[in-house]
Amino acid sequence: MARFHSLEVTDIRRDTRDAVVVTLKPDDADNGAFDFTQGQYLTFRRMFDGEELRRSYSICAGKDEGCLKVGIKRVEGGAFSTWANENLKVGDRLEAMTPMGRFFTELQPDAARNYLGFAGGSGITPVLSIVKTVLAREPESTFTLIYANRQTSSIMFREELEDLKNLYLGRLSLIHILETETQDIDLFTGRIDQEKMEMLFRLWIDAENVDMAFICGPEPMMLTIADSLRKHGLTDDQIRFELFASSQPGRAKTKASSKSAAAAAGTCQVSVTLDGTTRNFQMEKDGTSVLDAAISNSMDAPFSCKAGVCSTCRAKVIEGEVEMEVNHALEDYEVRAGYVLSCQCLPVSDKVVISYDE
Amino acid sequence: MTNDAALMDEDTMSLADYLSRGGKLTSPDNVPPRYRGELLRLMSSFVDSELAGSAGFADAINWAPGLKERIAASRITLEKVDHAERVLDLMSDFGTDKALYNKAHTWSARQPRDSHVDPRRQGGDMRLSVFHYPLESWTDAVVMNALMGLATVHQLEEQCLTSYQPLGEVFREILPRERRHMELGLEGLERIAKDETQREDARTSIGYWMPRVAETFGPAQSARFERLRQLGLRHKDNETMRFAWQADADARLAGLGLA
Repeated sequence: MARFHSLEVTDIRRDTRDAVVVTLKPDDADNGAFDFTQGQYLTFRRMFDGEELRRSYSICAGKDEGCLKVGIKRVEGGAFSTWANENLKVGDRLEAMTPMGRFFTELQPDAARNYLGFAGGSGITPVLSIVKTVLAREPESTFTLIYANRQTSSIMFREELEDLKNLYLGRLSLIHILETETQDIDLFTGRIDQEKMEMLFRLWIDAENVDMAFICGPEPMMLTIADSLRKHGLTDDQIRFELFASSQPGRAKTKASSKSAAAAAGTCQVSVTLDGTTRNFQMEKDGTSVLDAAISNSMDAPFSCKAGVCSTCRAKVIEGEVEMEVNHALEDYEVRAGYVLSCQCLPVSDKVVISYDE
Repeated sequence: MTNDAALMDEDTMSLADYLSRGGKLTSPDNVPPRYRGELLRLMSSFVDSELAGSAGFADAINWAPGLKERIAASRITLEKVDHAERVLDLMSDFGTDKALYNKAHTWSARQPRDSHVDPRRQGGDMRLSVFHYPLESWTDAVVMNALMGLATVHQLEEQCLTSYQPLGEVFREILPRERRHMELGLEGLERIAKDETQREDARTSIGYWMPRVAETFGPAQSARFERLRQLGLRHKDNETMRFAWQADADARLAGLGLA
């Protein structure tokens, strides 16, 4: 089960008006566990108003920098990012899980490959880690980075990228696409759309020689780029996506629990929501799980192991009280937020409302 | 990846749109609940089938008529567990307890040879129904491995396009080795087909396994397929897949004089 470690904040640098770069140091005993791969991310947790919030931020350091750094861009209404931008200071400690994610490919020191990277806004963070590591560890490889932002002042890591260009002369090509600022070359102004991709391929990128492409940014931008890459002959295993977790569901509400009814036996009125449809049925409190009851009422609820191990059948209790017999798969915070393994879930109250859609 | 991050207002798009247009999801943190359920279900069906397939095929090692065949059977038994583990590692990212998972079911358990197993998954063990039937001899094992191996190749080729990128990557790594398992089956079948008595046994086994492997492609009309297609977890419908496999199998068997 995932575990959190305490990291010390050793540096905070303001990168743009609304983004900071935070350097972190694990305790000596945890050094091995935080040995990341370029392109991975860290998941942090912190209590806000008595509720635990988890947020993931990509590591922006290269493998050879000897430190852990994450870039955190402040988002309107984002509790964690606002706090990190305004209140976090050197010497504070942050709780984080060990690095996760698969947004990388194996490097080979003797390979001479041509990489192509597309980043939109703060999507630059994992791509920067990859750029730095590739340039340092594959001396024969080149990297072309196309980086979309609204305007110059919102470009994260602008100076660092310029420095990299100079450090690895001729091996890093950097193209800034700015939405609202006119540049010398028309092609570099506006948004990345199908037409702009065509022009990039015609003038700047030799698709035939691209070995691997990395894309991180908003969903529509990634789709446009991936479509275009495929049209120019790249296969799926040459295109790596990293998606913002912006679509992640919001904070879990505290579960509503009606304490009044707690009859040990009898029947329970169950309401189950699946794919936006809610079905009501009665079930006996005889040791039958809510999952089995839903299935026997012709609902196509997701499940696999039925042993509390795999977590396929995870659902959320919206109302009522249930008891979970076995839980090897859900973490404490998920349970606190009202999630259950429906295969292990026996109704306690006389009414239970459960949803597979949350 | 950055939580909370959006570049520009007009850059937001519903996840359903994103997936239906070929977008990929990349980590447990950005999959919605229903997608999570379907994805875990797909992955566990694969894991259970590989574990059950390997456990059932282990017997074939001792039926093998020669060293070459013994090595082939051992390799298939070993690598199928390795493939299960790779997908189980992805499931672990969602919370699955890997160590307990292995103990959750008796992977070598089989139904009687003449039973009829409902192709819909039964109970908590998500293996494909074909893996509930027992193998009975070397020839039988070779036939089953060739036919199901070919089905697996067709199914994995489609699954490589899955919208869950880490799974697509694992399947692309696994596919060449599963293809090799199928080829080992065909090579074994080629040797069997040269012997007149064994050839008849092989024909009997083909008659037994063909409809059971065909069932692994799922029902012709499937509401689940449509849902999975919208999530980018499936691409070609069951009947098209089954038809392509059947044509492929028929051609290969005809080439061996076993049609």
